[in-house]
This record gives sequence, C-alpha cells and structure tokens, in this order.
Amino acid sequence: MVDFSHLTKAYKKRVVVDDFTLSVDVPIFGFLGQNGAGKTTIMKMIVGLLDPTSGTITIDGALSSHPIFKKKLGYMPETPYFYERMTGLEFLRFCDELFDNNNSGANPTARTSHYEGILKKVGIFAARNAEIRTYSKGMRQRLGFAQSLVNDPEYLFLDEPLDGLDPIGRREMKEVMLGLKHEGRRIFLNTHILADVEEICDEVGIIHQGKILYAGSVKAFCAGKPLEERFMETVQAHEKQETQI
Amino acid sequence: MRNIWIIAKNTLKLEIRDKILYGIIVFGLLYVFFTLFLADLVLKEPSMVKAFGLTGIYFFNAIIALFLGTTSFFKDVDRKVVYFILSKPVSRMQFVLGKFFGLCMVLLLTSAILGVAYAGVVLYEHAGFDWIGLTAIAMQFLEMALFLAFAIFVSTFASSLLSIVYTSGVFFLGHIVSQLVTDAKAIGLGGIKLWLVEILYYIFPNLEKFDARDFAIHAVPAPFTSFALAAAYAAVYIILLLTAAVWIFDKKEI
Repeated sequence: MVDFSHLTKAYKKRVVVDDFTLSVDVPIFGFLGQNGAGKTTIMKMIVGLLDPTSGTITIDGALSSHPIFKKKLGYMPETPYFYERMTGLEFLRFCDELFDNNNSGANPTARTSHYEGILKKVGIFAARNAEIRTYSKGMRQRLGFAQSLVNDPEYLFLDEPLDGLDPIGRREMKEVMLGLKHEGRRIFLNTHILADVEEICDEVGIIHQGKILYAGSVKAFCAGKPLEERFMETVQAHEKQETQI
Repeated sequence: MRNIWIIAKNTLKLEIRDKILYGIIVFGLLYVFFTLFLADLVLKEPSMVKAFGLTGIYFFNAIIALFLGTTSFFKDVDRKVVYFILSKPVSRMQFVLGKFFGLCMVLLLTSAILGVAYAGVVLYEHAGFDWIGLTAIAMQFLEMALFLAFAIFVSTFASSLLSIVYTSGVFFLGHIVSQLVTDAKAIGLGGIKLWLVEILYYIFPNLEKFDARDFAIHAVPAPFTSFALAAAYAAVYIILLLTAAVWIFDKKEI
C-alpha cells in the first residue's frame, strides 16, 4: 500500500503539491491531470529525486525514499534521456549493476539473458547492440520502460510511459503493463491521456493544481458519462469553487 | 564504494568513446613526436625535447581536464540522465565521487599514453630513461585531478559555459597567485591591497606546487619530499572541493 500523508512541495513561494493525502492499494493506479498539475513532482518525490517540503510518502509502512525500498522500485522518467554512446543492452547492464542486490553474484550470461528478455518484452531486442543515439523517440521510450524492469521491481512508477509511441507501440506497452499486473506488480502511472487510464487503470487520482480532486475507480467516477466529460466537469467545478473563495 | 566504482567505470567507458577526446590525444601524440624535430631546429639538445614534450603533455592534459570537467557532470544533470541513476539505490555523494574518479581514470589513461610516447622519444634522443620526466607527468596529473574537482564543484551550481570561465580563471590565478604575493611584498605593497592579494593566495590553489618540469629538463635530482607534500596538498584541496560539491548537489532540486 502506498500512503501519501499531507504531502506538500513548494518551490520558493510557488506551491506545486498542496497537502496531498491519499492511500492507494490497487494493482494499476493512474494519476490523471493536465500539464503542470503536479503529477511528475509527486512521482519524483516517491522515488527520492525530490524531497517534500512537508509530509511523507510511505510504501508498505516504510519511507519511499529509503535506499532499501529503492531496491524494490522501478522508475521511468518523463521523456527519458540516455547516455547516447551506449547500446541498449549496455544501458540495462549499467542500471542493473547499480542495484547491490542478490543479482550481483549471478552468472553474467544469465543476467544478459535477463536483459534480453526485457528488451524482447518491450520490443527493441533487435536494436540491443545499436547505440542509443540511433534510436527513435518510441524506441527510447521503450528503453526507458525496459530499464525500470531490470531489478524485477515490486512497484513501478511510470511517468507518461505511452508518450511518443505509435498506436501499435501503445497497444504493446499496455499489454506489457497488464502482464506485469498479472505477475503481481503494482504500477503507478502518470498520464494526461484519458483513454489510457480508462483502459488499464483499476483506480485513478484526478490531480489539479497540486490537489487531489478525486480518487477511486474509473467506473464510479464516470457514473455513465464519458471520462473526458467527467474530468472536465470536475476540474471546472474546482476552479469555480477556487474563484468564489 | 561499489556504486562509486560502477559510475566511475561507466564514465571512463563513455568518455573514451568520445571522438573529441580521441582528437585531442592524437594531436597530443603528434606533438610529442614532433618535439624531435622542434628540438633539432632549436639547439639539438635532449633538454629541449624534454621541455617541449612535458609542456605539450601538460597543455593537452589541461585541455582534456577542462573539457571533461566542465561538460561530463553538467550534461548528466542537465539532460536528466541522472534521474535513472538517483532513482536507484545510489546517493548523490556516490554519483559525484563516481564521476570524479571516472574522469580521473580518463586523465590517468591519457597521461599514461602521452607519457609512454614521451619516454620513447627521450630514449630515442639517447637521453636515457627519464624518471624525473615521468614524475613531472605524475605531478601534472595531480594538478589536473585538482582542476577536475574544481570543475565538478562549479558544475553543481553553474552552467557548462560558466564552468569553463570559472575553471579557466582558477587555472590562471592558481599559477600566478604565489608570484603575486612575492611581487606584492617585493614592491612594498601594504594595507588593504596586500591583504587582498593574500586572500587570493589562501583561497585559490597554488598550482605552481605541481610544476616539476624544470627538474626533468635540467636533470636536477627531484625533491621527492616537496612532491609528497604537494600530493598531500592536492588531496586536501580535492577533498574540500568534493565535499562542497556534494553539499551543494544534495540541496539542488533536479
């Protein structure tokens, strides 16, 4: 279970995440919000890239930024950047080596097979020995996803994982996510694409201006209306309320 | 320690694939071999081969240190590659130290390549095996390591271009600061002016401590005690700079 307790993040006087409190205990949870809503900031705080101004994030009772917990998580940043002169396979090996876990003593051939398995899963196995600088945007997105899987994480935090993918790529990545769900992994994903959420998320959190406006099942949220319409209604209702205050 | 080594190893691997670095090394090697002809043109003396060779190696290593120190760390942070690393069980201190040691390994490698070429050229000139010359190259390496630590320190808060400006400034001041104090006292400078010069002396590293080229050129026995002291001086300075770099980077919002 992931618990956010009174989480706040401010850059000088600008509050980006505002007293965010939420408990999540479903296989796939989607943070949904407009650009600049605070989704990426929350994800960066979960994985320890940013420190909260106040509040805590705990996963299964432990602080999420603790090094021990970091061994159990996989993270894919938004618009991933890589070491351009590395190959895809080398990049996965480098990422895996940073986990000082039980894999360190493993047979290198077995680890290479593990990386190749991941690259096959995300559909860039054929390009495994090509330098990353030759990869297309979609291939980089897939590699970013692949590196989040090297340590067999229990929790995956994916920031806009389907951005830049063509329709076939999106379909394939969604299937991979559903496969991971069936393996028992927990997935958090950030997106502003409503159709993705509707299709794969068990629950959603609607974020607007750093505040959580709704958290729960997609079905209950929609209440028979299209997700886009409900999303707009919720955001507009909140903005109206803010204006009145 | 393990993560520092992994990041250092990866930094070395990436930098030696850089064509710019190859270009600098090739020019460095050509220059060292070219000293044979330069020396013939001037005095036909082995000491000229040593003078040109050691100065050339120093110059090319300084370019490499400036190029690597001001770009490698900054690029990783600016291009957000660091997100992949710091979201794993890696501390910011391990990242800073890994980058520093990785870049030092690149410099060690280039110093070794140019040093072997230099030793070969000096041998060819029938000047014997130049141990002191190689010691001078080792001292240059220490200076460059300090230079790298400064560049990484500046990169934690400044852009790549500003890092080049600051690091070049420190390189320049580091070589004249001890002479400045001597000259200021010689001309009877006093009051606030002398005080300012002395502040500069204590803030900036005295890079002249690492200049052992004259001992090699004039075949004078090397003062190993002062070299050891210079090495300790470099170590203290590097530790201070990297501590400051880690402290700033720890507080940086990435």
